[in-house]
Amino acid sequence: MNAGMGFKLSHLQSMLLFAALISVAFGFLSRRRPMDRVKYILWSLFLFLLIGVGIGWAMYPFSH
Amino acid sequence: MADETTAAAVPGRNAKRETIAFFIAVAGWLVPGLGHALLKMWGRAVMSFLSVGLLVILGAGMRGNVFSSGGNDAFDALGFLADLGTGTFYLAATKLEANGADVSHAGGDYGTRFLATAGVLNLLTALHAYEAARGRKA
Repeated sequence: MNAGMGFKLSHLQSMLLFAALISVAFGFLSRRRPMDRVKYILWSLFLFLLIGVGIGWAMYPFSH
Repeated sequence: MADETTAAAVPGRNAKRETIAFFIAVAGWLVPGLGHALLKMWGRAVMSFLSVGLLVILGAGMRGNVFSSGGNDAFDALGFLADLGTGTFYLAATKLEANGADVSHAGGDYGTRFLATAGVLNLLTALHAYEAARGRKA
């Protein structure tokens, strides 16, 4: 990250931040009990990353 | 008689509840989390505010595109609608991005998505607050 309002994030960092923020928001909105929220957040985060990395690898052959 | 009184009172009460729910949704749209805060759902209020706020700060910091109303095509118009979903944070995003957008690199492109997602997420939370205010299970 740079100083000031300029953020320089890698693809992975951006994806991780995005997935984490959205998972937390979804978890709090859709579940009421704390334990259910934690489970939902972790599951959602895992799926975000799995699908993100999966799509990345699926596109890999086309980049050459 | 009692039934008639009850029957007459219920539509009025429902209309009042609908009006309150509408204003809670508008409040939630203008300031992320405010709708839930008015309903005393503190956890959801704080997390909505932080999630939308962080997405806007990161999106603007990565120099994502903050769409304006004077777009050239349908995609610009949709982007503007999504960005507008952040309510007052839209103004904050335009102020934070003093140097303008730069989507010539991946970071700027990610920033554009962060900003649009913040808007759509805030609309979702406002809708959730609206449903909760109407008495639907939330």
